Amino acid sequence: MLEISDLKVSYGGDEILAGIDLDLFRGDSIAIIGESGAGKTTLGLALMGLVDGRVSGRVLLDGVDIAALDDRERRKIRGKDMAMVFQNVEDALDPLMTVSDQIGEAIFVHQDRGDPRGVGDRVLRLLGSVGLEEVKGRSYPHQLSGGEKQRALIAMALANDPQVLILDEPTASLDAVTKAEITKLLLERMKGKVALVITHDLSAAARLTERMAVLYAGRIVEIGETCDLLENPRHPYTRGLIRSSPNMTTTKDLQGIPGRMVHGVCGCPFSERCTQRIDICDKVVPPLAEVGDRSIACHRGGIVPLLELSKIRTKFGKFVAVDGVDLTLYEGETIALVGESGSGKTTLAKTVIGLFSHQEGEIRLEGVPLARRDRGFYRKVQMIYQNPKESISHRMDVFDAVSEPLAVQKAGGSAERIATVKRVLEEVELSSDDDFLAKYPHQISGGEAQRVAIARALVLNPKLLIADEPTSALDASVQAKILRLLLNLQEKRGLAILFITHDIALARKVSDRMAVMLDGKIVEEGLTSVVTTSPVHPYTMRLLEVAPDLAPARVARGARETGPAGGGPWNISELLPLRAREL
Amino acid sequence: MEDLHKSTLESQEVGWDGGRVVAAAKAFFRRSAFLSNYLIAFLLILVLNFTLPRLMPGDPFQAIYGEEALLAMTPQLKAQLVERLALDQSMGQQFLAYILALAGGDLGHSYYYNQPVLSVILDFLPWTLLLTGSALVLSTLLGLFLGIESGFRRGRHLDKTLLASLMFLNGFPDFFMGIVLLLIFGVVWGLIPLSGALTPYSGLVGLPLAIDILHHLIAPLAALVLVRVTSAYLLTRNTMITTLKENFILAARAKGCSEGKIKYRHAGRNSLLPVVTATGLSIPQMITGALFVEIVFSYPGVGLLLYNSLLTRDYPLIQGILLMVTVVVLAANLLVDLLYSRLDPRVSHAR
Ligand code: SF4
Repeated sequence: MLEISDLKVSYGGDEILAGIDLDLFRGDSIAIIGESGAGKTTLGLALMGLVDGRVSGRVLLDGVDIAALDDRERRKIRGKDMAMVFQNVEDALDPLMTVSDQIGEAIFVHQDRGDPRGVGDRVLRLLGSVGLEEVKGRSYPHQLSGGEKQRALIAMALANDPQVLILDEPTASLDAVTKAEITKLLLERMKGKVALVITHDLSAAARLTERMAVLYAGRIVEIGETCDLLENPRHPYTRGLIRSSPNMTTTKDLQGIPGRMVHGVCGCPFSERCTQRIDICDKVVPPLAEVGDRSIACHRGGIVPLLELSKIRTKFGKFVAVDGVDLTLYEGETIALVGESGSGKTTLAKTVIGLFSHQEGEIRLEGVPLARRDRGFYRKVQMIYQNPKESISHRMDVFDAVSEPLAVQKAGGSAERIATVKRVLEEVELSSDDDFLAKYPHQISGGEAQRVAIARALVLNPKLLIADEPTSALDASVQAKILRLLLNLQEKRGLAILFITHDIALARKVSDRMAVMLDGKIVEEGLTSVVTTSPVHPYTMRLLEVAPDLAPARVARGARETGPAGGGPWNISELLPLRAREL
Repeated sequence: MEDLHKSTLESQEVGWDGGRVVAAAKAFFRRSAFLSNYLIAFLLILVLNFTLPRLMPGDPFQAIYGEEALLAMTPQLKAQLVERLALDQSMGQQFLAYILALAGGDLGHSYYYNQPVLSVILDFLPWTLLLTGSALVLSTLLGLFLGIESGFRRGRHLDKTLLASLMFLNGFPDFFMGIVLLLIFGVVWGLIPLSGALTPYSGLVGLPLAIDILHHLIAPLAALVLVRVTSAYLLTRNTMITTLKENFILAARAKGCSEGKIKYRHAGRNSLLPVVTATGLSIPQMITGALFVEIVFSYPGVGLLLYNSLLTRDYPLIQGILLMVTVVVLAANLLVDLLYSRLDPRVSHAR
């Protein structure tokens, strides 16, 4: 019903929208997701015909190209067949007109002959349908609360029962309770229409829409079913966006995306910030291609699988330590391999790195079956151990320890090596002065030694880091810093991490996905948030039960909060039982 | 204020009658607080008018009436006046006497016209009111109209031309503009009368009289409007430009409103408010301007009267005129304020 093809908008010389293609049908609801500057609002305005810049491309509404219509014709469609609710409720209503007059005006301007009575009745019905009382209609905007204004704006957009409804940040700037109410209202009113929800708020988008299009620098980079896309983002940008959005679903710490958005690059708009870019990326714009029920604009078909294990079996004599494991680790992702000692997780890790050899199954690295582990392999895959002494010989000083892999790889001259070592040491937040470089393992603390080990692992700039209980020998505060460091490196370099731990609470904070191992098998695998909140396998449940928990403290604090003396902003009496129940 | 207004709303919703009464009472108090500002200003003016001549060194009588008047005055008259002004009594009683006299419409006696000051002023005042009033309304309306059209077409040809020419006009003092108009249209082309507010002893009535008045009015009016229109125009244009960027304009466009509706109903109306305020503030200047222009055109208004009374040193008349002018300014400001609160619901509810 609404077909958008190759829609471009530019202001001056800047291309804000660089060719949008989107087909929507009656009953569709799609979220346009992106950060500020991505061109979301421009897209909405361009559809309405309200941008000042140069517009090209086609917008077919029921087969008519409305982008080609003249101003007069376009005006007849605006607010009638296609309506928009603007963001920033505060000044989207004319301060000098009553709410009813403003809603009525939307109807009036599309009538050939004025029918004040009919309009009045319809306004009343509209007010009712968005849950506003009649007195609110007679009020001026400044007399309404934010939520009421938003309702009025929705009523205004619905005035002529449009086929296409564009909502620009419909719930931004509303408090949580109002947000929930407005969301409910919108869900009802969006039925049977084409609804575009423009927002940067992933949770609002998740509640309101069935599909989602991710906009980056004026291009759509990924389209998919909303829940599927949020759980399993395939475009590197989508994943970055989700990782950097605070929400109640994911459990991993927030991570950002390096760099910032630039418009008008000639290749993939994301190439500047992408950690898996290849040569073609900054030369050719990747087309939006369908992959299953997803559309992705990426030369590599989205986030690439870095390590694929299929049916791996590792035996020691008769004892099967790893028993048919399938696991895929994607670029820039952390999988936590969780299990007790003896579950085979360390064996699996050592099988991957080549310390043990597997009898059955296949290991693929970047899509290529692994034949033997040559120098090229160790450039891409590195491992750190629980005890840094396992990676660093006590006879080597810091410089030797970190630069040894470079020597093995015969990489660079000596001056270059020194520079590289210093840079990596700084990256892991260690001192890079000559004093420190000359220290031996027994002269530095455990935390520092582990950092040196990490520096040694990273000096070749690997794509995959296997970390076997890297922090279990450290104090909690040092552990937190090391983990933070690994997450930062992941953010910056797109490092994939296979994180082996027995501590499910720790795994929950650092991993995107989680695989639970028992007796050499993976018994449960999935998104960390899902595995930790609704585990399926009894063993996972058991692990979660015994995981460290600060609950008693939280209960006590909660009770204080809901107590009458708590007061605060929540002293609305109806809310108290609700919150108490939640506890 | 927010709170007040919220509670008003709430009580209305509940429909509780007591609430309505309370709300009405609150509204009344707000309104009277607003009016009392004007009352205080008025009292201050009275006090000033009373004290200034009396604070001057020497005989207050001399300050009030001027030296020449004193010389021409018979002792009899002088005694009479001393009694009336209670000059031989305490300041308090003097003030009381002064207020009582004012209340009775007694602004003193103009010895030049040999008439009560009030009646002299009232003879001249209507013409000034006509001139300044129409100049005020016309320059504001014209400024608004041009400002709206110009701001709406910002940067285009019409906007640029208007901006340049109005800025040019604004450079002249009004009396100079008056002289130019008088010379060109009156002296050179003979299109307008050189003086007066109407043709004396013409015996015209009805429409011909109105036309005659207009004929006399047009040049001084034009002089004032041409110079004064720019400030209203500039302000409207600027406000218009900012208003057009507001979200509600976009929302109005999205509704499908025509350009005309956007221009006047939404952007224009919202740009009106600051102009109304500015107009109120510009009244004193307008009156000053009018006084000069009256002199140029020998237009029989208060300006001309003031000029003459200055020439003849008719002190009671001068003081009467000053008092009258300040009162008129005050009243005009009050009117503008009332108008503003009618135009802006935010003010009328919040006040
Ligand atoms: S791999 Fe290339 S095409 Fe894909 S997102 Fe990264 S830079 Fe863009």
